Amino acid sequence: MSAYDIFVEPWASHASSYWPVAAMAFFVTAACGLVGNYLVLRRISLVGDAISHSVLPGIAIAFILTGSRSGFPMFLGALVAGVATTVIIETLHVRSRLKQDAAIGVTFSTLFAIGVILVSVHGGHTDLDLDCVLFGKMDIIMDMPAVFAGLPAVVLTMAAVALAVGLLILLFYKELLVSSFDPNLAASIGIDPRIAHYLLMAVLSIVVVAAFTSVGAILVIAMLILPAATAYLLTDRLWVMMVLSVAHSLLSALGGVHLTVALEVPTAPAAVVVGATLFLLAWVASPRHGLLRLWLRRPAPGGGEPAGEGDTAVA
Amino acid sequence: MRDSEPCVGTGEGGGGGDTPALDPAGGGVPALEVHDLTVSYLKRPVLYGVDLAVPPGKLVGIVGPNGAGKSTLVKSVMGLVPASGGWVKVFGRPTRENIARVGYVPQRESVDWDFPVNVMDVVLMGCYGRLGLVRRPGKAERERAMAALGKVGMEAYSRRQIANLSGGQQQRVFLARALAQECDLYLMDEPFAGVDAATEAAIVTLLGEMRDRGKTVLVVHHDLATAREYFDMLLLLNMRVVAFGDTQEVFTGELLQKTYGGRLTLLSEMADTIARQS
Amino acid sequence: MDRSTDPAPGRRRIGSAVAAVAAGVFLASAGEAHAERIGELVQTDPWEQVGRFFDLSDENTRGLRVAFAGALFFGAACGLLGSFIVVRRMALVGDAISHAVLPGVALGFLWGTDKDPVAILVGATAVGLLGALVVDWIQRTTRIKQDAALGIVLASFFAVGLCMIRMIQNGEGAANISGLKTYLFGDIGSLDRADVATMAVVVVATVSLVALLYRPLLAISFDRGFAASIGLPVRVLDGLFQHFLAFAIVVSLQAVGVVLVSALLITPAAAAYLLCDRMHKMLWVAVLIGMLSALLGVFFSFLGNNLPTGPFMVLGASAVFLLAYLFAPRHGRFTKWLRRRARRRKVRDENAMKAIYRILEREGRPEGGVGIAALAAERGMPEAAVLGELHGLGRRRHVELGDGEVSLTAEGLRRARKVVRNHRLWELYLTNEADYAPDHVHDDAEKIEHFLTELEVAELERQLDFPQTDPHGQPIPGLKSV
Repeated sequence: MSAYDIFVEPWASHASSYWPVAAMAFFVTAACGLVGNYLVLRRISLVGDAISHSVLPGIAIAFILTGSRSGFPMFLGALVAGVATTVIIETLHVRSRLKQDAAIGVTFSTLFAIGVILVSVHGGHTDLDLDCVLFGKMDIIMDMPAVFAGLPAVVLTMAAVALAVGLLILLFYKELLVSSFDPNLAASIGIDPRIAHYLLMAVLSIVVVAAFTSVGAILVIAMLILPAATAYLLTDRLWVMMVLSVAHSLLSALGGVHLTVALEVPTAPAAVVVGATLFLLAWVASPRHGLLRLWLRRPAPGGGEPAGEGDTAVA
Repeated sequence: MRDSEPCVGTGEGGGGGDTPALDPAGGGVPALEVHDLTVSYLKRPVLYGVDLAVPPGKLVGIVGPNGAGKSTLVKSVMGLVPASGGWVKVFGRPTRENIARVGYVPQRESVDWDFPVNVMDVVLMGCYGRLGLVRRPGKAERERAMAALGKVGMEAYSRRQIANLSGGQQQRVFLARALAQECDLYLMDEPFAGVDAATEAAIVTLLGEMRDRGKTVLVVHHDLATAREYFDMLLLLNMRVVAFGDTQEVFTGELLQKTYGGRLTLLSEMADTIARQS
Repeated sequence: MDRSTDPAPGRRRIGSAVAAVAAGVFLASAGEAHAERIGELVQTDPWEQVGRFFDLSDENTRGLRVAFAGALFFGAACGLLGSFIVVRRMALVGDAISHAVLPGVALGFLWGTDKDPVAILVGATAVGLLGALVVDWIQRTTRIKQDAALGIVLASFFAVGLCMIRMIQNGEGAANISGLKTYLFGDIGSLDRADVATMAVVVVATVSLVALLYRPLLAISFDRGFAASIGLPVRVLDGLFQHFLAFAIVVSLQAVGVVLVSALLITPAAAAYLLCDRMHKMLWVAVLIGMLSALLGVFFSFLGNNLPTGPFMVLGASAVFLLAYLFAPRHGRFTKWLRRRARRRKVRDENAMKAIYRILEREGRPEGGVGIAALAAERGMPEAAVLGELHGLGRRRHVELGDGEVSLTAEGLRRARKVVRNHRLWELYLTNEADYAPDHVHDDAEKIEHFLTELEVAELERQLDFPQTDPHGQPIPGLKSV
């Protein structure tokens, strides 16, 4: 493979056929990334991981009952499973001496195990199998009939979900900010932090379900956290963080499609690999919080603080 | 024989030329000597150029406002947080070489009190340092632990699960663990925080007894009102040493004002500036 | 060096562990094999399968013995290390490491053309440790907190692994595909003797580590700062622990799968945590539950021939966890509920007996019958409810129900006196020693009277100098009368 084959050729010959995949990847990562900002700031990223695992039984049951992979029943099943997860985790760790981390671990692995068994027992369906759980199935979008702007219906649905998430966040920006930063203050000014929490969990469940068919159950956590974490390294303002996380989503979606074509790997893990690379870049080279800056500024071993700064402080 | 695993860094040991001569016997050597110690957290200095020499056999209170670096000083002496400059010596040698002579009592909240151990297990941990990695505590250690529990009035609780203790009892267990260590210098981080009055009185008595047996005890303390009667010497700390000396001399309005009040806020503002610039 | 303590218990513990492992190896290797793996034992009738599962002497179930031995080994290793993970609140670190090993597994496959357990062990362990290192590093150099750092490493490494797996599948024959697939969701049927031998080595090493370094590990788990302050090599111990954790995860991968192996670390240990109050007991219990869960997984995977093993092991562990959560002797939800219910009944019964006693006292007669209506009025309850309570008391022979009236038996009278005595002593204590006004102390005494122990009552009486009357002037029943 020449450099041309890897970097240019995919865009030259496949651009039009992969347009829906790229759009889908972007909408999924953008919706996840927007919600993810709050998960990272509230330090509950792994609740996102737990929910993305434990919606599987909900999805599987709805699928087995209706035989269809899209539509309302699946949303409902997953929503119920997602909210049940948060409730079970809370119950376990508030009502016993189990700590939150263990409560999360026990809950999501149990539900996920049930989901995997259900999926394997009803194996043989091409629409829902273990491959789908692991890798997601973004490629099948290419075979779907286009409805609007060259995009099939599933992509448009995902676009609507992403837009709705964006609007919700815009609408409740203040409330979410306050309840994430200082739950006590939120409660004192009449915003019930628990309601904010459960609303966020509900939105999270919806996003996770909408993303499920495209990215599977396990990689969702990357879509949720990588954009926000990368943005968090680059800015100190919440709204800038949101904008940057959407930019991160866009870049990783495009890069993911690129890798899909160049290396023949599934789009979802490819997009995560690109997203992780972007995070790595930000980690090393962020102008304010990057490793490079940390290393360059590090005081010489044993030398204490640089002399100039020392003088000002002691005076 | 003591087991001294080289594991706890004391930050930079590079004091160079001004190292005092080693005197393992400890005669005339300060129990604790801190020279130009600087500790930073994410580039922001928390302690700045701390100099200190604590004579042996004293009961010393460390007081200062919130964020003054009291706990950081103790942790830094123990080598639990890395120093970015300066050095620390315990009885004339770096802490990690003399670790068996120093006992540390962390803040009560630093551990999980649901942990599956009972009171005896916790106190026995005080003997782990001497036992080294592989040896198990035997009868001698159990007796020593029991004696330590006796000194804090907790013999009856030796088989109690630690989750079923009150705050004051938890603190007593921590003190018993320190006693079981049989050290010469003790560093205690807020032992009076959140304990009942009876426990506070018991601890004060115990500290006095320890001092009378020649131990040196440094106590991080947050209550100025009682500091004057509890301690022989006071260290007024606010990022740097404001004053250190006998309680009567140091406990003056002017020095306290200097520690808690206006003028030193400039120092912490400077620290913020440094953090922002780097 | 004065070795006053006897190191023998440690040796003994290691010795018994080695013996157990030897038994497992024997189980796996005795006799000539007919079917090396349980996956090759295809049966359609489930009941016949169940019969064969328990008939270990059947020559055809040789493969089952391999699976059995394997399950016991990694169940034990996971339970042992999982206990430390749970008490150190590192459950999700375990999860992150276990996902992060995937690229290492893929590398192991790339290394040898065929599945080579040692290559995979080395590759996966190395990558898992790298993942743990990166988590640590992100936390130390940025303001990203642990949860997000774990999520980043977990998903990024996993995605790299998935891409590598797909690229291997694209490049090579189908034989490798099935081999790799077992690593994702687990297939105990794919274990062969080389795998079990690798497990045995890891388990022996893990058990030796924990037996030898139990106390230092306990100390750093309970209180890291203190452990460092007494000179324990905290960093070295942490590193050692993480290495063994990675080993345990990797040897379990093939049977449980990358996706769910963390559950086998967390769930059995979490169940043990609910059951035990001492760490050393918790270790044993977690090992037992880990082995039990693994065996349950083998059993179900044996019943349904094509199902992945991992999820069944996890469900086995979850079932045990649920039982522990509900029925643990001290911390179980159901046990606590039973205790609360018994306490409520005790309070109700004692209140009824007390009411009878007070009516008798007011009327100035030592014993005899009290009308149900009077009792109901005294307690402010409907007659039917009072009658219901009295029937219960009657069954326990604390009262005797007559026609429209009720009287206390000797035992009932004794209990009534005891409660009244507790009540009045406590009221007196609050008034005298705690300076409460006499009209403020009744409600408090109403609650505490049922729960004072005999020791506490004796102490109260001593402190109050053996009083005769309460603050309201009523007599306190003496110790002899109860």
